[in-house]
This record gives sequence, C-alpha cells and structure tokens, in this order.
Amino acid sequence: MIPMTPTLTQYLVISLLQIVVVLGFVMTLVPLLTFAERKVIAYVQVRLGATRVAGGLWGAQQGRTHQSRTFTGGLNGLMWWLGRVPVFSILRGLPMFIADALKLLTKEDIVPVNADKAVFVLSPALAMVAAFTVFAAISFAPGALFYFPASFPFLGGLPFNGFLTDINVGLLFILGVASVGVYGIVLGAWASNSKYPLLGGLRSAAQIVSYEVPLTLSLLVPVVLTGSLNFNEMSTRMATDVPVNGLVGIGRSLLMFVGFFVYTTCGFAETNRTPFDLAEAENELVAGFHTEYSGMKFSFFFLSEYASMITVSALATAFFLGGHYLLPFGLQPVWNHFFEHSSNAFMAWTCAPSILWFLLKIFFLLFVFLWVRATLPRYRYDQLMNVGWKFLIPYTLIMFVIAALLRYAA
Amino acid sequence: MEKLLATIGQNLFVLFGLLAVGGAGVLIFSKSAVHSVIGFLFSMICVAGCFLSLQAEFLGVAQLLVYAGGIVVLFLFVVMLVELTKYQEQGIFQTQTKFAIPLVGIGLLIFAGVFRAALFGPSAPEALTLQQGLVGATENLGNAQAVSRGLFANFILPFEILSVILLVALIGAIVLAKTERV
Repeated sequence: MIPMTPTLTQYLVISLLQIVVVLGFVMTLVPLLTFAERKVIAYVQVRLGATRVAGGLWGAQQGRTHQSRTFTGGLNGLMWWLGRVPVFSILRGLPMFIADALKLLTKEDIVPVNADKAVFVLSPALAMVAAFTVFAAISFAPGALFYFPASFPFLGGLPFNGFLTDINVGLLFILGVASVGVYGIVLGAWASNSKYPLLGGLRSAAQIVSYEVPLTLSLLVPVVLTGSLNFNEMSTRMATDVPVNGLVGIGRSLLMFVGFFVYTTCGFAETNRTPFDLAEAENELVAGFHTEYSGMKFSFFFLSEYASMITVSALATAFFLGGHYLLPFGLQPVWNHFFEHSSNAFMAWTCAPSILWFLLKIFFLLFVFLWVRATLPRYRYDQLMNVGWKFLIPYTLIMFVIAALLRYAA
Repeated sequence: MEKLLATIGQNLFVLFGLLAVGGAGVLIFSKSAVHSVIGFLFSMICVAGCFLSLQAEFLGVAQLLVYAGGIVVLFLFVVMLVELTKYQEQGIFQTQTKFAIPLVGIGLLIFAGVFRAALFGPSAPEALTLQQGLVGATENLGNAQAVSRGLFANFILPFEILSVILLVALIGAIVLAKTERV
C-alpha cells in the first residue's frame, strides 16, 4: 500500500480517534486494576477477596452467590454441589469495580472551609492531566495497527498507528510531563490548609524529587546504548540490536537485567506505591496529601496514581523487557537467528513485533506492583532517603559508565 | 477547516507567548505567594509551548523538565514553608520602587527595539526558524544533536563561562546564608 500523507483535518480526526482509544484503554484498565488489587492481595494472603457482588454473563447479581442463576453462578453452584471450592470464584465480585466507580462518582464533594478553593480544585486536575498526557509519547505498537479501508468515509486508506505521536525526544517528553505531576500532590496538600496533608505532601514531594534523579539516570542507559531519544527507535533497538561480539552482547543483556530492577525500584518510588508509599502512611499521616479530598477529586488522584503505574510499566517494558518483541533483555536477536526463517508460521510470527507482547508485559508488571504490595512492608522515611541517595544513585552512575564503555566497544 | 487549522498552527507561537505573559502577570500581581508560583509554572509551561511551536522540541521538553519539573518545585517548597505575611508587615519588600521604575522603563525600550528588529526587521522570516547552519552542521541533524553540537563543540568556551557564573551565584548564596546565621 502506498502511504498517504493525511491533510491537517484528517490528521486531527485520526489523532482524536487514537486519543479516545488510548484514554478508553487506560480508563478501563484502572478500575479493573483496583479490582485486581483486591483479588491478588487476597490470594497472596489466602483470603477470597471481594465476593459479594456476583458476576455473570447476564449481569450483576447481589446475594448468595452459590445459588445465583447467572452463568458463572450456575457453574460455581455446580462445584459447591460437588463439594469443591469453585474455580470461577475469580469472577465473583467482578462487577464490584463498577460499584466502586459509581461510589466515587456519587459521593459528596466536600471542600474544606479554610481551603484555598481555586488551588484545591486545580491540583487534582493537574495531577491527572500530567499522568494522562504522558501516553501521547508511549508507543503501543511500532507502525500502523491497521489501515482504514478505502471505502471508509473521509479517512479511507490512512493508517491507524499504535502510537499517538512519534516525536524525536519522546523519552524526555515523558519524563518532563510526568515531573509536572508532583505539583498536583504539593499544591493539593498545601491548599487543604490542614496539618496531615501538608506533611504527607512534603514527604511525597521530597520522595518524588529525589527518586527522579536515579530514575532518569537509569533511563540514560538505554539512551546511551541506542544513541537516540525516540521512543520507537529506542525500544526497537534495545530489543533487536545484534551485538558486535558475544562479550558485548552478554554485558548488554546483564546491564539491561540490572537496569530493569533499578528502574522498577525507582518507578515504585515515583508512583508512591508500597514499599515506598510514605505519602499515605496511615499509621502516621491518616491518608497523606489527599486526606481532605473526597468524591471525584479524590478519584482524580487515584486515577493519576494508577495511570502512572501503567506508564512506569510501559517504560520498563519498552526499554528493558524487549518492548514490542517477545524476549526481554536484548535476547531477541538470538531467538530471531534460529526462528526468523523457520517454516513454522507461528515461530516466524514470534520474531516480529506485536502489540500483544507489549500489553502482556505491561499486565505482568502491573501484577508485580500488586504482588510487591502484598509482600513487602513499608520503608521508614530515613531508610527511603538512604536507599535513594546512597544506593540507587551510585548504582545508576556505575551502570551509566558501563553503558558508555559498551557503546565505545560496539 | 483546513485553512483555519493551518492559521492556528502558524500562530501557536503568538498564542503561547501571550499566555506566558499572562502567567507572568499572575506571578507579579497576585497577593498569595503560592498563586505567584502557580503563575510562574504556567508561564514556564507556555514558554515550553513556544519552543515546541518553533519546532525546537528538545529545548521545549528540556524547558519542561528543568524549569517546570525541577526549579519551580524548589520555589514552591520555599514559598509554602515560609510565612510571608510576617515579612510583609515589616515592609522589607518593595522598598526599591523609585529605582525600579526607571530601570524597567529602560529595559522595556531595549526589548521593544529587539522585538521590532526580530519581528519586522529585514531578517524577520529567519529569526523565528531553526537554522542548521548556525551550529555548523552540514547534514540534517536532529534537534538534540544540533543543540549538543552547538553547546559542546562550537560554543564550548561561552558555555563553560556561563557555568562559572552559576558557580559564582552558588558561592554567593552560601555566603549570604552564612552571614545571616552568625
């Protein structure tokens, strides 16, 4: 197919469609993630988790789940009758996420009397805008996902890309926009005009500002190795660059392996997740910076936290876990060497980039977020700062030097 | 539609520039120091928008990362934690008004001259476009490469002198803070 250059209006319409798709994806993923959080943590702690709202193919049904007549309810009832724990209990409580969302939407929206009203309203919006604008530069699939059929009105023959924009400085754009998100926390904390939010806000701002340094430094490793700042080019080259010799290749893979853990640790701190969720240490600070927030404003903070979890997972996937390719840590060239010209169509397909691998890795990393939350206790504040400044920053600097040496050797 | 979009695209620079000036106005005229910082932040983001509309995406994003993401956060920290009303009553601010007004007037005149030359002068079309030739690049370089070649190859001496000036400012800040404590 001959690639067509869209006119400005067509470009605008396609971009808007893409934005709707990406936003829809994130907005559905976030409530599902909160539900998964309940279920995964329950599973780790040998509980059942949310079960009261029974889900089936014919809608939600409240009540005694093993007798409900819905599809999964029927199967589960059969299993109870057979004297076994129902396997479909994973689906129990699934409609709960709709109930959660409705609860947040319909709750009373309280603005404290002495709060700075304008800033109080502005800051959740700021947090959310920063967390969602980042997706403009994240590439879910390189190249076009599909082409509009020629008969399609107005847009016939144009590509629908797996990314919103392909800017040359995509990585910097992501880091820059994400760094604006900290204002949501600090300003929200200040505008509440209350002690606990202010303390929580200061804590988390200090945490985010300090962990931004090792996070950015650890992302410099892929920048140095690929010599680019373009998201697509970086992730493709990190996954598929064939090393000049075995030693460099092994060093590169090891560096990516270590870099992945360092980056993910910083990412956990950036998103205020356990074990770094000091901003909302309930036993010390009530709920941190969003103590005074309720209803939809609270859920804006909530959404932005989960959206930035998705961002961190996407970046870790793209730069360390092989991006749109199957194998992580730069092992894809080895795989491709054996299977690229394989007669088996499936094996040949695994050598090509696909949105499927990217999404699967993101989902796995999101699971890791929940897994860690269910497993690890919270750090103390001085420990948090020690980990950031005394360990992570020196490690990332050493990694940076090694990356430069590898680049020199290549 | 097509024409409208093209016009908007061409005038984005002016739009962002006016918004940045508006943010700067909030910075100066608002009563609350935190509101001032928010105005400053808005202004910085709009300046990044100006850079982006001139296709200097590296500068724009660096502006966002360094100023909006780093420096203004530190401003906000200080302003949030210091009770400014106390100092307002002592009248230690705005004591230099009578010197400031003529200086601002001279500054305005100079800037008006510069803007007139940049926007309406003979070289007006080139002033607002990225010129590869200026950094001595013959091939079509990316933004980041062009900037880094300019900074670290062609203009390395001015760049280093600038960093020495920053060092002077740093030492000055330490000296000021020290004398206050003794």
